[in-house]
Amino acid sequence: MTSSSVQIRSKSRPWVIVITIGILLVIGTSQFPILEFLPQIWSKISVFATIFLGIFIEAIPFLLLGTLGSGFVEAFVDHDQLQRLIPRKALPGALTGSLLGMIFPVCECGVVPLTRRLFNKGLPVAAGISFLLAAPVLNPIVILSTSAAFGWGWMLVGRLGLSMLIAVTAGLVFSVVKSPGEILLPSQWLHREAIPLPILEPSKVSRSFREKLNQMAVIAADEFYEMGRFLILGAALAAAMQTLIPQQVLLQVGRGPVTSVLVMLALAVILSICSTVDAFVVLGFVSIFSPGAILAFLIFGPMVDIKTTLMYLSVLNKRSVIYLILFPLFMSLLAGLLINLLIA
Amino acid sequence: MTIRLYRYLQGFVMMLTSIFLLQKILSGNLDWYIHQRFTPLTVLSVIVLLIVGLIVFRAGHNTAQDHEHHDHDEHDDHHHTVSGWGLLIVLIPLVLGVLIPAKPLNSDAISGKGISSAAPSAAGSSPVRFDQAADDRNILDWIRLFNSDDSSGTYLGQSANVIGFVYHDPRLKDGQFLVSRFAIVCCAADAFAIGMVVDWPKSASLPADQWIKVKGPVQSTQLGDQKMPLIQATSVENVQVPDQPYLFP
Repeated sequence: MTSSSVQIRSKSRPWVIVITIGILLVIGTSQFPILEFLPQIWSKISVFATIFLGIFIEAIPFLLLGTLGSGFVEAFVDHDQLQRLIPRKALPGALTGSLLGMIFPVCECGVVPLTRRLFNKGLPVAAGISFLLAAPVLNPIVILSTSAAFGWGWMLVGRLGLSMLIAVTAGLVFSVVKSPGEILLPSQWLHREAIPLPILEPSKVSRSFREKLNQMAVIAADEFYEMGRFLILGAALAAAMQTLIPQQVLLQVGRGPVTSVLVMLALAVILSICSTVDAFVVLGFVSIFSPGAILAFLIFGPMVDIKTTLMYLSVLNKRSVIYLILFPLFMSLLAGLLINLLIA
Repeated sequence: MTIRLYRYLQGFVMMLTSIFLLQKILSGNLDWYIHQRFTPLTVLSVIVLLIVGLIVFRAGHNTAQDHEHHDHDEHDDHHHTVSGWGLLIVLIPLVLGVLIPAKPLNSDAISGKGISSAAPSAAGSSPVRFDQAADDRNILDWIRLFNSDDSSGTYLGQSANVIGFVYHDPRLKDGQFLVSRFAIVCCAADAFAIGMVVDWPKSASLPADQWIKVKGPVQSTQLGDQKMPLIQATSVENVQVPDQPYLFP
């Protein structure tokens, strides 16, 4: 039960999404006088519920898989041994860091506290930053869910390849900093005896297998609620948009090769959907937005959105957070535009 | 909220979610929300949610016994207390699912999603089959036949026999309606509506969303800027909502 605090503690602002949904509802309903069109509104609500529950039910197994995997890693894997395997040089470190997600199947909600703990255990900066940006995409669950949504096609390859490229490049950029202490907030860099990092303590011999299983389940439950609320609010927002905004409106905004990418990047931030399920959510936009815009969404969303920005700010200093937002933003925008220009 | 109460509620809500999903599976409504191929994953979720829920519930019980032990885990301002936000929000889908009667997507959804004759380029599309018997083609098969490049019109004049729901598109002429289906790749969120125009003198008397079986020779027509198949209906009869209201490309 030791790790429960990590997820519960992170502060979030679900209000942002709630208010956005409220505004959308007001815009949507203000088109008709409410009393006259009650049946129409009721039917809209019914459509909303079907789409919303569709996303939710679809996402639950992947959410559970991710949270159980994370719980398993925290309860059973010896972090010290793992850390010895990470190269200290910038490029090999960044490459290894970007692939660590294959072992730690975390989405962007879980990666921030995990990176912080790994930094405090001596993970080099380059590897840590690459891990932070790449792990939410380059992990088995996200590969599985993306392939389930898009098939084993260029969309999956593009998502993995470009995410890794951006993450490794960012890791190299950050490698000019020698110690994680220079990018972490002072309160987060107190070395192991000062900061409570119960999960990273060498496994206690006294803890039985059964206790570890219990710990795994409890961590999984914590993450289920921590991530689940962002998933549910994101799904509600997506369903509300689909129900209330006629496709024609989005088509007009989202048609251009440039504007479509910008709109999807903005959506990636606003929706704040967990990377394990964002591929399913974005499927709803496939027929509306350009392929480059969809890809940009799939690359940028797991790196930066409302909830990760808040989490970044709780761990890293402002300057690092600004880099961590602007760099992926610029790169995703570039990737999306290039794809659109090459295809068109 | 204390950690103990939080654990109890966590476990309880997870078990509720499990029951909610189980009810959707047993009632056969699950297909209204997600693609059939994901049904096994939902079954798995029901089991996992139940087990994890039980363990967490038990963990809450144990917390009560050795409460002092866990104090050092809680940081700063969250000593002894946790936020119930996650719990409340996870309850939203359950409340919605219970309060709002389950319904597959229908003509009300088309106004938001729009109707298109463009066949999906989405994942998992099987190749267009020309050798399929005309009687066996569903609306999706017809639409894809229409969109394939080498469709030299060999299928024009063949007799269609399709099931769908009635949609009155404002762009249609009098005496016409659309027989429509939703096709989904993954879940209701990516559903897109497809349809065939039907020439039927008594179109106006057909209520929207009525499920019908339409028979008649197929011609080509224009709806807005899209080329669409048109059925010159020889018969239109009411049918039950099919077990699987969506089509899968």
